[in-house]
Amino acid sequence: MLVKDYMTRHPVMAEPTMSIVEAQHIMAETRVRHLPVVKTGKRLVGLVTRQTMRIPPTDLASLNVWEITRFLSNLTLEDVMVMRENVITTRPDVALEEAAKAMTSGKVGCLPVLEDDVVIGIITEVDMMTQLTELLGGNVEGVRATIRMPNRKGELAKVTGAISEQGWGIYASGGVQTPKDPDHWDCVLKVRDVPKEDLLSVLRSIDGHEVIDVR
Amino acid sequence: MTTMERTHAPILKVRNAAISYETRHTDVEAVRDVSFDVHRAETFGVVGESGCGKSTVAFGIVDFLGPNGKIVGGSIKFQGQELVGRSQDELRKLRGDQISMVYQDPMQALNPSVTIGDQLAEVLTVHRGIPKPEAWQKSIDMLDRVYMPDSANVMKRYPHQISGGQQQRVVIAMALLNNPALLIMDEPTTALDVTVEAVVLDLIEDLKRDFDTGIVYITHDLGVVARVCNYVGVMYAGEMVEVGSVESIYANPMHPYTQGLMRCVPKLGATKESSILYPIRGRVPAPQDRPKGACIFAPRCDYATDRCHNEKPQLRQLETGHSARCFYSETIDAGTWEPPAGLVPEFEADVGQEDGREPIIRLSEVKTYYEQESKSLLSLVGAGEKRYVKAVDDVSLEVPPNKTLGIVGESGCGKSTLAKTIIGLETPRDGKAQFLGFDLTVPVSGRDVKLIEELQMVFQNPDSTMNPSYSVGHQIGRPLRRFNVVPKDQVRDEVVRLLNAVRLDGSYYKRLPRQLSGGEKQRVGIARAFASRPDLVLCDEPVSALDVSVQAAVLNLLLEIQRDYGTTMMFIAHDLSVVRFFSDYVAVMYLGHIVEIGPAEAIYAPPYQPYTEALLSAVPIPDPTAEQKHIRLHGTVPSALDPPSGCPFHTRCPRRDLLPDGGKICEEQIPQWQYNSEEHRIFCHIPLEELRKIEPVVTSD
Repeated sequence: MLVKDYMTRHPVMAEPTMSIVEAQHIMAETRVRHLPVVKTGKRLVGLVTRQTMRIPPTDLASLNVWEITRFLSNLTLEDVMVMRENVITTRPDVALEEAAKAMTSGKVGCLPVLEDDVVIGIITEVDMMTQLTELLGGNVEGVRATIRMPNRKGELAKVTGAISEQGWGIYASGGVQTPKDPDHWDCVLKVRDVPKEDLLSVLRSIDGHEVIDVR
Repeated sequence: MTTMERTHAPILKVRNAAISYETRHTDVEAVRDVSFDVHRAETFGVVGESGCGKSTVAFGIVDFLGPNGKIVGGSIKFQGQELVGRSQDELRKLRGDQISMVYQDPMQALNPSVTIGDQLAEVLTVHRGIPKPEAWQKSIDMLDRVYMPDSANVMKRYPHQISGGQQQRVVIAMALLNNPALLIMDEPTTALDVTVEAVVLDLIEDLKRDFDTGIVYITHDLGVVARVCNYVGVMYAGEMVEVGSVESIYANPMHPYTQGLMRCVPKLGATKESSILYPIRGRVPAPQDRPKGACIFAPRCDYATDRCHNEKPQLRQLETGHSARCFYSETIDAGTWEPPAGLVPEFEADVGQEDGREPIIRLSEVKTYYEQESKSLLSLVGAGEKRYVKAVDDVSLEVPPNKTLGIVGESGCGKSTLAKTIIGLETPRDGKAQFLGFDLTVPVSGRDVKLIEELQMVFQNPDSTMNPSYSVGHQIGRPLRRFNVVPKDQVRDEVVRLLNAVRLDGSYYKRLPRQLSGGEKQRVGIARAFASRPDLVLCDEPVSALDVSVQAAVLNLLLEIQRDYGTTMMFIAHDLSVVRFFSDYVAVMYLGHIVEIGPAEAIYAPPYQPYTEALLSAVPIPDPTAEQKHIRLHGTVPSALDPPSGCPFHTRCPRRDLLPDGGKICEEQIPQWQYNSEEHRIFCHIPLEELRKIEPVVTSD
């Protein structure tokens, strides 16, 4: 799971000289929320989001309608974009979770993906959410079980062993440390083509494990 | 091909685009009311006959229309940005950075005086400012990506030093170097051999997936569309008449024009006995002659009513993602279509079939070599070793009267040299060639007039074989006078009769070649070939330069004339579906040798010679549901100057491993003919029992 497999290639981009009105138009037309700003050769010079296009009222000399119109029509992306040095970016061969970490720590909604300073893609919160959905099998039919198990080696193997013994297949899985309980681990499994009761009885038969949710 | 779920807005959005060319008199509206979307990682195919505005649409997207072309209406949005009305400067930047183009002829896209490496690296140094050594390395990587063999060395070569398929790969690599969001391909494989075409089409498919590029693919070939496209727009006379996914358009064409196109192309495996090609009557109107305020297809449509002639239909959605520009799409059932009277000739059941008659032409071990200048000093005094291009080597074949022999093979395999040898333009070095008791090894200048009269030819390109300053009547009349076919005072009547036979009326008598369309010129060429009532006609790619609907008409015409006159034909073509449709016997040639020959149905079914099998699996089939074996030949046809030892095909043969030692024998010994039946023989070391076990190449539901 690397950034290059989940990013959007060929993102919609804009030039620094583009007027902010046109940029808004393009964002509406293509339903995107982030515009990497590039100069010749797709080299990144900045980033525009809906956030950056909000003009603080203090920037305006007065609230006169004509004044606002004039002010807005003269604005270009250069004036409002986040400058290159402040844009958090990533590279195509970075692990997905690394990219996610960069997004959360920087509190940004997207990362332009660069190769030699050339924009080759963009990865956004939405891409991350899509992958979370996929990771937990959100798009397939099946039984979803959450099992709480002791936090030690070999526990997950008991579950997968029991399931494969029955000839069933695990479609998706994910594990996190139980919230506020470092001694336990919560594991989510999606199993396909199996009656809920059968799965439940198999999982319950494992010692020390607790099935906390089945749906 | 599955259609992916679309989460993104389209890369290219064309709405009601209209494009005109300025001329001295008035503006000519080449394209009007064209709308379509191209999404990432999808191919949108634009199909139609020539003159329908396909290329104009492609050029219009980037406003590459030349000084007299202009976009007069509608909108073309690329990644949300309006392209119509942009300055050339802005567009040039976009073309370099985000939109790339690949054209039909790779030689025109490459600079002949600059090495391939310099041309590729320039894209990166200019557009991205990457230093030269790094750009060079990236170019090599990209050449590897397009499966270029020996890429590091190819970088140092000039365009003319690599083959056509490789040139096209260089152009594709160049187009992809900047990682474009949109790729426009205008007939990128039309100039390539079928085996090379198959490899390039596979490549396009791979690249689309890996680079997420949206592709606009322009072609006239319905088979290619079925193989590479996800969505198709059918263009007719500058308008898009039907748009939909490739599956739904092929399964259920809704516009009468699309239905007509489908009936024009022979399916692989169709024969003249089992099926008929139905041309579309009439022809594509010139832009100024297009009906105004009416359905543009109405004059050629079998379903047209008064409403079609008085009201212009709009493109309307009939199913999800499938629209057509026709009032009656719901009521028209293509399955119950009946050809109007006179569209196709009525063939009676074959009468007078006299099997077992003596072959009319018989070649045995014919060799035609071209002498090659040796570069050694000795050759200056005539003592150098002579080298030969073995264009035709050991060819033996015979054709019974009133039958057709099709000859297929890649370019450079000696098909045309064989035809030239028979017609007398080349003199064979060795072997026997008999035709009606005449000796065919004599060059044409020494031949009896009677022989020339009985042996005529239809050429590929009617433009270059007709004298532009003589009228049609004069040109057809010339063989009549030369051979005294009819008395002098009846020549004119006979010409008119011949014109009628090729479905042109007497008014064409006085026309000059430039006043004719491509299909009409080819008909005149056919009339001229048949003027002397020959016994054998050689057709060298007679339909490959023609549009599909015209191609169907010309093929029907040839069939009809053949039945009427009892003429024997040799039909050279690279299109295996057409050859199968047209021929009784087929010979497959490779590097000057015939590698398989026999009745047509035997060639297209196992046992195959491995080369035939590879050819068949490369043919694009106009049916997206057909299953086709995936065999791709690597490398190019070896030079005929220095052919491989043993079996000529051993360097590329995909079936060599069926023999012990990985086919060592293929390199050492020339194979013997193996007879599958009396008429069907295969030139291969692999035993027939093994070859018989091979599955058929094409299976369709």
